[in-house]
Amino acid sequence: MAEIFIDNKRFEFEGPTKVLQFILDNGLELPFFCYHPSLSIPANCRKCFVEAGQPVFNRETNSFELDENGERVIRFFPKLMTACSLDATDGMVIKTHVTSELVRRGQKDTLELILINHPLDCPICDQAGECPLQIQTYKYGPEGSRFEHKKVHKPKRIQLGPRVVLDAERCINCTRCVRFTDEISKSKQLTIVQRGDNNYPVTAPGLEFDDPYSVNTVDICPVGALTSSDFRFKARVWEMSQTPSIDITNGKGCSIDIWTRDNLVMRITPRYNPHINDYWMPDAGREAYKIYNENRISRPEVNVDNQKIKSSWNNALLTTSEKIQSIQPNEILVVGSAYASVEDNFALAKFFGQLGQEKAVFAPNIIEGSGDDFLISDDLAPNTSGCEFLGIDQLDKEKLAAEITSDQYKLIVILHEDVVGRQIVTADQLASKFSIYLGTNKNQTSAVSNVVIPVTTAAEHFVSYVNVQGRIQRTIPAKETLYTNRRLDLEMSMGRLDHFGTQFDNWVTDKNKIDCIPAWEFLVRLAHELNIDFKFNSAREVFQEIVAGTDHFSDVSYERIDSELGVDLANKQKEELNLA
Amino acid sequence: MSAIDWKSYTPILIPNIKDYHKIDVYEKHGGYGGLKKILKDQTEFTPEKVTNTVKDSGLRGRGGAGFNTGLKWSFMPKPDGGPRYIAANGDESEPGTFKDRVIFEYNPHSFIEGAIIGAYAMSITTVYVYIRGEYRSWINMMQKAVDDAYEKGYLGKNILGSEFSVDMVVHSGAGAYICGEESSLMESLEGKRGYPRVKPPFPAQKGLWGRPTTINNIETFANVPHIINNGSEWYKGIGASTHAGPLLYGISGHVNRPGVYEYPSGMLITDLIHGAAQGVRGGKKVKAVIPGGSSTPPLRGDSLEGVRMDSDSLREAGSMLGTGGMCILDEDTDMVDFLWRVSHFYHHESCGQCTPCREGTGWLEKTLLKIKRGDGTVRDLDLLLDLCSQMEGRTICALADAAAWPVRYTVTRFREDFEARVKKTVYALA
Repeated sequence: MAEIFIDNKRFEFEGPTKVLQFILDNGLELPFFCYHPSLSIPANCRKCFVEAGQPVFNRETNSFELDENGERVIRFFPKLMTACSLDATDGMVIKTHVTSELVRRGQKDTLELILINHPLDCPICDQAGECPLQIQTYKYGPEGSRFEHKKVHKPKRIQLGPRVVLDAERCINCTRCVRFTDEISKSKQLTIVQRGDNNYPVTAPGLEFDDPYSVNTVDICPVGALTSSDFRFKARVWEMSQTPSIDITNGKGCSIDIWTRDNLVMRITPRYNPHINDYWMPDAGREAYKIYNENRISRPEVNVDNQKIKSSWNNALLTTSEKIQSIQPNEILVVGSAYASVEDNFALAKFFGQLGQEKAVFAPNIIEGSGDDFLISDDLAPNTSGCEFLGIDQLDKEKLAAEITSDQYKLIVILHEDVVGRQIVTADQLASKFSIYLGTNKNQTSAVSNVVIPVTTAAEHFVSYVNVQGRIQRTIPAKETLYTNRRLDLEMSMGRLDHFGTQFDNWVTDKNKIDCIPAWEFLVRLAHELNIDFKFNSAREVFQEIVAGTDHFSDVSYERIDSELGVDLANKQKEELNLA
Repeated sequence: MSAIDWKSYTPILIPNIKDYHKIDVYEKHGGYGGLKKILKDQTEFTPEKVTNTVKDSGLRGRGGAGFNTGLKWSFMPKPDGGPRYIAANGDESEPGTFKDRVIFEYNPHSFIEGAIIGAYAMSITTVYVYIRGEYRSWINMMQKAVDDAYEKGYLGKNILGSEFSVDMVVHSGAGAYICGEESSLMESLEGKRGYPRVKPPFPAQKGLWGRPTTINNIETFANVPHIINNGSEWYKGIGASTHAGPLLYGISGHVNRPGVYEYPSGMLITDLIHGAAQGVRGGKKVKAVIPGGSSTPPLRGDSLEGVRMDSDSLREAGSMLGTGGMCILDEDTDMVDFLWRVSHFYHHESCGQCTPCREGTGWLEKTLLKIKRGDGTVRDLDLLLDLCSQMEGRTICALADAAAWPVRYTVTRFREDFEARVKKTVYALA
């Protein structure tokens, strides 16, 4: 096994590796800006300087030369080397800022130079709080600047494209964004223009930066040069709670982080998952924060004299149970949805199965050719495979329309699916039936349903989804409903103010809490009304029953999903995971 | 022929022959003889032998770094059937350098012949000639020469009836100093932004379009036919022992007869100033000599005695041979102004890829401008030197060094000029 000595500590490594990546993999620290594990290595920020040396190999004796103390003779490179571009070799000796004054000086010098033309407008910069330049300046930078001249002025507030804004003065020319469009999204829309300290990245004249993955450049920008036009000036990083979750706008199910403040989702960023999305996600998935905040159904609604009125939960339950009791179970059509989670679909099918209607149907929403070969799939729904694995009958749009309009059914129970909005049936067709809609957002289906039950979104409860690759992943509650509490619910993630705020910090209000419950919980309450033996205390219990009862899901648990970043249901062998 | 007998030296790179740039005249005087000799007897002149001949001749690259040319050629990997390239570097954008221009104008065919021989030695079939965009007329001259060579069968398919084929493409740069650096020259040839590449991999492993590539200066190639014609021993006999061959000295500045002069390497600087260039304008004293383009450290006028124009002697004197583009400054020169102008150039030409160069060159220029205006302080001089250490050896290519060296050595060697320009300042001790 090849060995390498970093700050006098011995490490072993295998195969070709760059020194910086090796240092990061081993949990050591070395500051850098331009390096990104998924992109090519330009070595242009000159921040990850190390002293590097190799032992002198004597070809005649076929061994390393030793000095009088029996230590290997190390020949150091005459210059500071950039660790990002330096290949690790057997016996290499690396000195980082921990042990080398020269490296400390080199890193400080580079920071001083980067900062001379940087505007230092952290108080009004969106990146502040999660800015590598800010963090490293506090940690490794000089105390002040010796620069006494006018800074270089460059264009500010350039709308590069529909979703990205450029502040060229903040740019440190790491070229991560340019390399992203060259190498990952392959749109090649960005390039560096000008020369020397006037450099900045921009699109070709007259062209827009409308890459479907454009906002990823905002994430990888190590300063606040590229900001999201949508999120700009909306929230500071330290005010938000960050919760791991998954993207539900697309069949790919990218791993994401949901950032919430006062129970509003402020933004969505990708989370590293080597099995699915690496460090990236499509821009469309980031827009999804709106579905968690806007146009939500809060409190049940019941049709009275063709007028939709807000109702109490009790009244909604009574209305529903009365309707169910008034007809035969085989007169109920149960419509599941690829937009709803595995747990909700399972609970729905099981509940009505116990009631006597064994059949549940769903219509996947796949548009051939609408995706690409990267992170946007043809499947627009997050859980098509999950519904299939649960054994819910897959129908195409026409067949589902025929079922809904058929005279056989007197009650239509619709989980989440916007059957009117998707133009499966018309509003009139649905209005002619008695329908119960369990949904998250107001839409054309909820407008004509007789009973509308507000259910939680992926940001409000745990649910799992199976993506197009057959990989099951789950969400973690990120925002509170009227019935959950961040401080009491240990499953919820916390932000800085959750941890450190006092009871006098009145930053959390009730106004953004939605009056909704998980679909399985509504069914449990309904079962109580109907005297059916159908009882779950949490989504975990629902999931445990799925695991116990369905072959596809056997051996899967929330813990496994969390620790392995999702489980491939086709191949449930434990996967070795190297988290960078 | 040593440099002592320079007065009786007959130029070979730019010979005194009328219309030598025309292919007929070039042929009449033995032109393309070396190429014919090689191609006629390929079993005798194998590519390895040609490479070794060039290596033995001691020819060192004329672009500035002075690396042994034959050795560089021998770094090319064995042919694997894929494309391989020569990129001939005629970007010459270093201020004070204008030697390749005379080759394009007066002797393009000796370069073409040398490049074809180089292509033969390294089994290469495509030669790119990268000429700076500002040399529009010289690009046209070079294109004419290449067209003529194609017509006469020295370029193209089956050269002179042999199996060997070479294509030559004349490419115009777009006006960036950085594209004279070999790896950014390759980026520029590939149609990309002229950013230097990280080494390794070196061009011989991964050059143009990821294929093995050798980059040599125009003047370097122009020397090759003479080595093939007359042998490496003959060539080694010209000029300094460690830096053999004739050099094109581009002499500019405050001299009576500026211009490009061909003499053996190792000429005394004083001979070049007072002999070849016929003395300093107005009989003034020499204040400073920049021996090889603006990035080489300037020598003081009073330290020129016995300094020769070869890499060893100049290193001892504290400078470098560079491109051999000398700039002579007389005693009236304002060194602050001179240094500001040099720094302005490097600030303007830094490509902006690496932090120390992108930001450092601008800081140097701004500080020098402050001193030039009379607003500087002694602290600024120390700051300049400190900045130089922050830039030197910290970047991908050598532009940061090229920008820092003139500042470092002008400030240290002519410090009295700078101190005279800064404000008298008194700082409280506590």
